[in-house]
Amino acid sequence: MAAIETTGLAKRYRRVTALSDCTISVPQGRISALVGPNGAGKTTLLRLLTGLAAPTAGRATVLGGTPRQDPGYLAEIGFLAQDIPLYRRLTAADHIGIGAHLNPRWDGELVRSRLAGLKIPLDRPVGALSGGQRAQVALALTLAKRPRLLLLDEPLAALDPLARQNFLGALAEAAAMKGEGLTIVLSSHLLADIDRVCDHLILLASSRVQLCGDIGALLGEHRILVGPRQDTTAIARAHTIVREDSTARQTTLLVRRSGPVIDPAWAVEEPNLEEIVLGYMRQDGAEDGAGPATRLSAVGGDR
Amino acid sequence: MTWVTWRQYRSQGALAAALLAALAVVLLITGMHEAQVWHAALASCGTVRGCGSPSLSNPVLMTLIVATSAVPLLPGLFWGAPTVAHELESGTNQFAWMQSVTKRRWLAVRAAWLLLAAAILAGAVSALVTWWLGPNNALTADAFEANRFDITNIVPAGYAIFAVALGICAGVLLRRTLPAMAVTLAGFAGVRVLIAQWLRPHYMTPVTVYFKLTGSYAPKGSYLGVSQGIVGPHGQPPAGSGSYIFNGSPVPAVCAKVMQNPAPCMAAHGYQEYLAYQPADRFWAFQGIETSIFVVLAAAALGVAFWVLRRRDA
Repeated sequence: MAAIETTGLAKRYRRVTALSDCTISVPQGRISALVGPNGAGKTTLLRLLTGLAAPTAGRATVLGGTPRQDPGYLAEIGFLAQDIPLYRRLTAADHIGIGAHLNPRWDGELVRSRLAGLKIPLDRPVGALSGGQRAQVALALTLAKRPRLLLLDEPLAALDPLARQNFLGALAEAAAMKGEGLTIVLSSHLLADIDRVCDHLILLASSRVQLCGDIGALLGEHRILVGPRQDTTAIARAHTIVREDSTARQTTLLVRRSGPVIDPAWAVEEPNLEEIVLGYMRQDGAEDGAGPATRLSAVGGDR
Repeated sequence: MTWVTWRQYRSQGALAAALLAALAVVLLITGMHEAQVWHAALASCGTVRGCGSPSLSNPVLMTLIVATSAVPLLPGLFWGAPTVAHELESGTNQFAWMQSVTKRRWLAVRAAWLLLAAAILAGAVSALVTWWLGPNNALTADAFEANRFDITNIVPAGYAIFAVALGICAGVLLRRTLPAMAVTLAGFAGVRVLIAQWLRPHYMTPVTVYFKLTGSYAPKGSYLGVSQGIVGPHGQPPAGSGSYIFNGSPVPAVCAKVMQNPAPCMAAHGYQEYLAYQPADRFWAFQGIETSIFVVLAAAALGVAFWVLRRRDA
């Protein structure tokens, strides 16, 4: 069963389209990485899934229902918003109290033992903690709700590498504890970190879904072709060219293959996740001056 | 939600309670002194009128008393306006509204406690002020006047309820604390002045008395004047050349030649003075009507706040 299923989901603000035609599916029990450049619509997608924002078109089905303002629905969803908003003047213990009063299933003991393990004081105002500690408090509070779906918006952004490790470790541990029951969607810029814990990927760029699927499968579907500078029409006929990089002598292609690539003119390599993600992200980005040709081939790409 | 509201507002509640206690101490001590002076004066001169006008209150205290007219605004500024706006500003609404409680219930419980606390605060200050002004009112019979009516009895509680509701509504609409506070301040002051100046005198049809131009008339006890002036023998307002004015009305042509004092001449031609006013026995009706108006306005503001909260993304 899919924990998240969206069809044609879109969100437009007065002039800006934050997300358009978003169709994704995240199976239950997966840890999905939501990646994409700034402004790609990651936060918008997560907020639509929580029900905090309403879509302007399309629909989302989350844990079998529509995201909505309803205590039963909210009890199933754990959401950690960007910048980790907590009440800065209240202590972690106060937050535990708030959670205990507002949630039907609440594991305050879980928060206490986690924070004790991390040596984070319960009785200091949250505003006085370090960014990493605050993120740990927020994650512990989100887990204490015992949600079936955990949506985390850039939880790693504010953390130093060590805190990041701790955080991801905690996340992986929580997922393992819950077994198949807990689905996690985690938005981030940090591909290397994601690679370690995630087994599913959603790639957004320019408000659109570029990729969505199992990371293993995506790795298998993509190849990097390197060869002397040459005509790529033959490759384009058989496969989908995601991105083409040419220097005076050499052409490098990222292709989504429709079968084995058998062409002696090209050296075929298996890409890593970062190479795939960057390939798709650069497609639409003007930052490296991608020419019209590359963009055209991108439009032809299947999604 | 009640516990959560208490946890988030308890320091502000303690501050309000401390300020209220300080005010109570000042007013109780000085109020008892006032009462003593008053009873002593009454014992020596027998009747209220006989006492003339001994100045009872010292001007500093009187200023403090009149300044309590701002008390109902404070909960609106410091509790009402930030309650949603500050959460939106700091993003904590994304924590609060992702617990297993809808934002609607979250606001409903919070608003209910804040409204109640504001009404209690303003009501307590008003009770103190009403008691303190007792001797003063007995002497000067001014309970119906602007700076007395607005700070005594039940209307301050109504104002406070309105201020909090207005603050909440402004916070939901503007999503920023400071602009919401500014709008609450301006809106509260504007509505209060508008209602006190233009609406209050007309809550009920005023009593009109006619009396001789050469005489005078003072209603019994405290009253709220609506209008006064001179009318002709057929109830018409006097028409005259315009440049010759007596008691705010043009002197009619027939008396235009009487330069010294046209009153006897006008009286002889059937002109009368009138006073339209709200008599003392309507005081409580007026307190009730004004309080109801502000409670209804508060309900409207809250209605808007909930509607916008539901429609808008969090």
